[in-house]
Amino acid sequence: MSDDEDDRRKKSDERRHPSEKDDTAMPRRARDSGRVRAAIRTELEEVAEDAADQKPVEKKGRHAAPTVISLENISLAFDEPILENVSFAAKEGETVVVVGESGTGKSTILKLILRLLVPEQGRVSIDGEDITHLTFDDALKVRQKMGMVFQGAALFDSMTVYENVAYPLREHTTLTDSEIEARVREKLEFVDLEPEKVMDQMPSELSGGMKKRVGIARGLANNPEIMLYDEPTSGLDPLTTATITYLIIKLQRELKVTSVVVSHDIRSAFRMASKIALLANKRIGFFGTPEEMTGSDDPYLREFLGGF
Amino acid sequence: MILDGVNDAAKRVVYSLQEFFTLAGKALGFIFVKPFYTADLFQQMDVIGVGSLGIVLLTGFFTGMVLALQSSVTLAALGMTDIIGKLIAGSMVRELGPVLAGLMVAGRVGSGIAAQLGSMRVTEQIDALNTLGTDPIKKLVTPRVLASLIMLPVLTIINDFVGIVGGNVIAKFYLGQPSGMYWRSVFEQVLSGGFTLHYIPNDFIQGLIKPFVFGGIISLAGCYHGLKTSGGTEGVGLATTRTVVMASILILVVDYFLTQILLALFSP
Repeated sequence: MSDDEDDRRKKSDERRHPSEKDDTAMPRRARDSGRVRAAIRTELEEVAEDAADQKPVEKKGRHAAPTVISLENISLAFDEPILENVSFAAKEGETVVVVGESGTGKSTILKLILRLLVPEQGRVSIDGEDITHLTFDDALKVRQKMGMVFQGAALFDSMTVYENVAYPLREHTTLTDSEIEARVREKLEFVDLEPEKVMDQMPSELSGGMKKRVGIARGLANNPEIMLYDEPTSGLDPLTTATITYLIIKLQRELKVTSVVVSHDIRSAFRMASKIALLANKRIGFFGTPEEMTGSDDPYLREFLGGF
Repeated sequence: MILDGVNDAAKRVVYSLQEFFTLAGKALGFIFVKPFYTADLFQQMDVIGVGSLGIVLLTGFFTGMVLALQSSVTLAALGMTDIIGKLIAGSMVRELGPVLAGLMVAGRVGSGIAAQLGSMRVTEQIDALNTLGTDPIKKLVTPRVLASLIMLPVLTIINDFVGIVGGNVIAKFYLGQPSGMYWRSVFEQVLSGGFTLHYIPNDFIQGLIKPFVFGGIISLAGCYHGLKTSGGTEGVGLATTRTVVMASILILVVDYFLTQILLALFSP
C-alpha cells in the first residue's frame, strides 16, 4: 500500500464512527482496539469480582437499609440545560459512583446534594428530608451531616494541617482543645498519615496525595453520615490512586458511611462502588451495580467502558 | 438592537449593585451575630492597620512637606507665611489625610483582599467553607470589613499627624518659622471649626467620618470582587484590578458628596 493510500485511509477512518469501522481496513493501532477492549472487559470483570469481595455493605441486608440520599427528577439549567430528569438514590452504607464524560454535570450533582445549588425541578432529600427549599442557615446545618473531599483538596492554605482538620470541630462542637487534638490525630492516622510529621505543616508543603488524605481527614472530622468525593483520584499517580481508593473502601467498611463519588477513574469506581450512575446527555443513562454494568449490552455503555 | 444592549447593560449594573449592597448588609449585620471570629478580626487589623503603616507614614510625611513647600511660595508673596500651620492642618485633617490614606490602603489592602478571596474561590476553599457549615461572608467578609472600619480612621490620624510634622520640617528649615509658632497655628485651625459635645473639634469629626466610610468601601470592594472571581488565575488578576479601580473612584466621588454634607452640618 502506498503512503498516499495509507494517508487517505487513515483520514477516512478518523471521520467514521468507531462502530462503523472495519477491523481489517484499520491501521494497526486501531485494529488492536478490539483486542484491547476485550482485555479491558476481562479486567473490569476481575475488578468487579475483586470489588465484590471488598464491599463493605452486606448485600443480604442492603434492601432493608433506609435511603439516605435521594435525587428525584432533578432538572437544572444555567445558560443551557445541565441536568434533565435525573434520579437516583443511595441507601445507608452504600457508595454510589457517578461516572460520565467531562462536562456532563457530575460535580453539579454533588453541589445539589450539598444544597450549594437549587434545582429548577425535582427534589433532593437527605434522610427523607427535602432540602430543596431550605433557608441558607438551615442548609448550613444539613451540610454538617456531610463531609466533602474536593478535587484539589481545597485545604485552607492559611492554616496548618492540624487547623484544617480541627476546623469543623471548632466550628460546630463544644469539644475541648485536648479532645479536638485527639480527634485530629485519630483522623490523620485513619488516612495513614503520621500526625507528628504533618500536623504543623502547611498545605503548600504537602504532595497531591497527602493533600487528598488531609482533605478526607477534614471531611471525616465531624463523623459525618455522608461523604461526598469530587474526583478523589484525579491527577494522582497509580500508586497514590490505589491508596486513596483503598482509603475510601476502608472508610465504608469501618465507618459504614454513605458515599457519593464523582470519578473518571472507572477502575477505582468498580473497586469502591455499590452502585454506578452513568451520566450521559444530561440524564442518568445507567444506574446499577458494577456487575450489571459489565453485563450490559448497551452500545453507549460499551463505548464508554471501551474508552478506558 | 442598541436598546437591547443598553437594557442588558442596565440590568447587569442593577444586579451588581444589588449584590454589592446585599453583601454589605450581610457583612455589617453579622458584626452583631455569634459566633464572633475575634482571632480573624485581630489578624485582619494587623494586616490592614500595622501592615499599611509604612506607606501611610511615607505618604503623609511627604505630602505634608510638598504642601508646605508649594503653599509657601504663594503665602510668601502675600506676606502670610505665619498661617502655614493653619493651611497644612486644615488640608491634612479635613481632606488630604483621609483621601490619601484611603487611596493608599485601597491599593495595598483592597487588592490584597480581592487576591486572597479570589484565590480561595478558584481553589474551592470558599465552597469548602460552605460545605463545612460556615457562612463565608461571616467568616471572611465581616472581619475584614470591621477591621477596615476600625483601622482606617487610626491610619488617617497617623497620616494627619506625620503630614503636619512634614509641614513643620519645611516651615522650620525652609521658611525659618519657629516650631512653636507653627504648632500654635495648627491648633488654632483645629479648634476654630467649633466643637461637638463641647470637647471634640468638628475638624476631627469631619476627618474621621470620611476614613470610616472609605474603610467600608475598600474592604467591601475587595470582598465583592474576590468572592465573584471566576476563570482561574486570570480571574484573580482581574478581581484585584477591578477592586483598586472601583475603590479609588468611589473614594474620590464619595469624598465630594461627604464633604458637601459635612460642610453643611459642621460649618461654623
